[in-house]
Amino acid sequence: MTTKNTLAILLGATFMSTASMAAADITVWHHGGRGDGERDLIAAQIDAWNAANPEMQASLELLPEGSYNEQVAAAALAGDLPDLLDFDGPNYANYVWSGYLAPLNELVSADVIANLSPSLIAQGTYPVDGQLYSLGQFDSGLGIWGNKAMLEEAGVRIPTGVADAWSGEEFEAALAALQGLESVTHALDIKMNYGQGEWFSYGFSPIVQSFGGDFINRETWRAEGTLNGEGAVAAMNMVQGWFNNDYIVPASAGDDSFFGQKNAALALVGHWMWGAHNEAHGDNLVLLPMPNFGGKQVTGNGSWTWGITETAEDKAATAALLEFLLQDDNIVALTNANGAVPGTLTAMASTENFAEGGALSLYTEQLQNDIAMPRPAHPAYPVISASFAQAFADIASGADVQETLNKAAAAIDEDIEDNGGYAPFGQ
Amino acid sequence: MGPGVLLTLLFIVTPFVLSIFLSFTNQRLVPNLNIPTEFIGFRNYERVLGRPDFWNALGNTGLFVALIVPIQGAIALGVAMLINSKLPMRNLFRGVFFIPTVMTMVVVSVIWAVLFRIDGFFNQFLDLLSFGMLGPVDWLTNETTAMGSLILLSAWQGFPFQMVIYLAGLQAINPELYEAAKVEGSTSWQTFRHVTFPSLRNTHVFIVIATTILGFKLFTQVNLLTQGGPQGATETVVQLIYQNGFQQGKVGFASALSVVFFLTVLLISIAQRYILTNEETK
Repeated sequence: MTTKNTLAILLGATFMSTASMAAADITVWHHGGRGDGERDLIAAQIDAWNAANPEMQASLELLPEGSYNEQVAAAALAGDLPDLLDFDGPNYANYVWSGYLAPLNELVSADVIANLSPSLIAQGTYPVDGQLYSLGQFDSGLGIWGNKAMLEEAGVRIPTGVADAWSGEEFEAALAALQGLESVTHALDIKMNYGQGEWFSYGFSPIVQSFGGDFINRETWRAEGTLNGEGAVAAMNMVQGWFNNDYIVPASAGDDSFFGQKNAALALVGHWMWGAHNEAHGDNLVLLPMPNFGGKQVTGNGSWTWGITETAEDKAATAALLEFLLQDDNIVALTNANGAVPGTLTAMASTENFAEGGALSLYTEQLQNDIAMPRPAHPAYPVISASFAQAFADIASGADVQETLNKAAAAIDEDIEDNGGYAPFGQ
Repeated sequence: MGPGVLLTLLFIVTPFVLSIFLSFTNQRLVPNLNIPTEFIGFRNYERVLGRPDFWNALGNTGLFVALIVPIQGAIALGVAMLINSKLPMRNLFRGVFFIPTVMTMVVVSVIWAVLFRIDGFFNQFLDLLSFGMLGPVDWLTNETTAMGSLILLSAWQGFPFQMVIYLAGLQAINPELYEAAKVEGSTSWQTFRHVTFPSLRNTHVFIVIATTILGFKLFTQVNLLTQGGPQGATETVVQLIYQNGFQQGKVGFASALSVVFFLTVLLISIAQRYILTNEETK
């Protein structure tokens, strides 16, 4: 082969690659997922879209999750946002507030929206204008995993669904009974080993909300009086009691007390542990609803979801791509890989695990029964979450509950004041 | 201007000046078009100095430094004297002792996290020593043991650096002094007390100042193992800067913290230098 030929091929290749770039009418950003095949599946779904829509090509860009937020903000400042992008839970509020995202109500067909899990609609509805800004292919599930043999040995009633969930007193009695078993070192694993971070906010906000408390008042958008109000204080006093009674697996015991060492009887953690728990316990594993700790039954939800940017050139085409991603076969392919709860009602019903009677049907029941409460969609969410996580860690190690929550509420409100109240929030 | 000056200006002087500038603003990590960055005068400084958080962090950092300097220095000097003697295979020992410092602090922290586990080495050891009477202790989430645990880990990771410096210092001591001591019938303690220790004066000065500055930078271990907890018992100033600047995006406030912190460390270093060199001329 001559140099000339090589050059021609190289030129041709360059030309072709520019050509295919130019044909990409829709640009898509994705965070890549957790290495459970999500990234390959998304890439395959974009390829499938391209094969079916030669006149409207999409190109996918994967960005590292660690600095995803910063990259989105930097791209927005530079006017370089993609047409379609995904983001984690309540972070979308800051994007909407900053004017990056377009409302989806008019863009996505009503049928698609009607088929979505109510929990996803709740999470994606921006509180200021009531419009929908994010749609997800899947949602997360939060409940309590139990070791059936231990529960039976301790004589604890095993709830079968949302309707007969444990009350707060019943739950505490169960903890005491389980703690008394010889094989149990600590009755309950709440994954303190995940460390002070988003898990604390995601996993434990339902406990606070069950008592009528919350991270922030969702009408006035101030934390004072809510995060340190009666409900939140009662909830955290209860949690501190669990620590004082030694019911909780300490962080230093590692990750596997429930499914490896099997010296914890219950585990409060999300759907992502299904694989490990199922493998370790098999038929001995039960998935229990979130208890009605303080008068109201609440569970958590939220995961990575999609949104269309305000700068998208062809919003209708981008919405068509989003609808394509929300088709049941695409959703099921993803949730089979990452274990999350399918995002549409029909996909939930058609997946063995999540359909009625399936091993994880409790998640479906919880998310459809309107007991899932999304984390607050507010532009200050990073500060709100960090302040609560800090407070939770302090309370776990014995700090005065009221004082600690006062401090957390003050820190949140200070940030809100510093940013002019994040208007139009709280007006 | 040579490239050296340019690089120094770009990577050291500019960020330094910038952080002083930013400390008077409400700069955010991720700028937002809705809320422009503004000058807010001394508000960040009022918050730094007016809140218990900073003073708690400074106190913890000071405690860490006050303990790590003598502990790490003593271990380093002891080991340096051991491997300075005519042991067989002493080069091997010198290499082995240097391993902890070559490892990055992240790796060391992860390994020690396992040792500190509730069923880990330290609790097994405690159990063995006390015939099962004591423990288990949750070292890193217990207010009384958390800082001590971090100090132990840090001393283990850091001492080889001081050890190498002491080793160089030891080898610079005139052997005639030791011969003279031997002739006078001095015991090994007397030799250490009156020959070795005073001959290392300049090394001591360097070690104390260098370890102090290194100690004030305490961050990696805290961030990985305790995140400043339990209840702020291991919160350090750098961890506080990180939490405010990067996790909560308050770059202006974090800059003010850095400036105050810089001035504190500078003052302490100057004071140390003044005291130590004055003593020398006495």
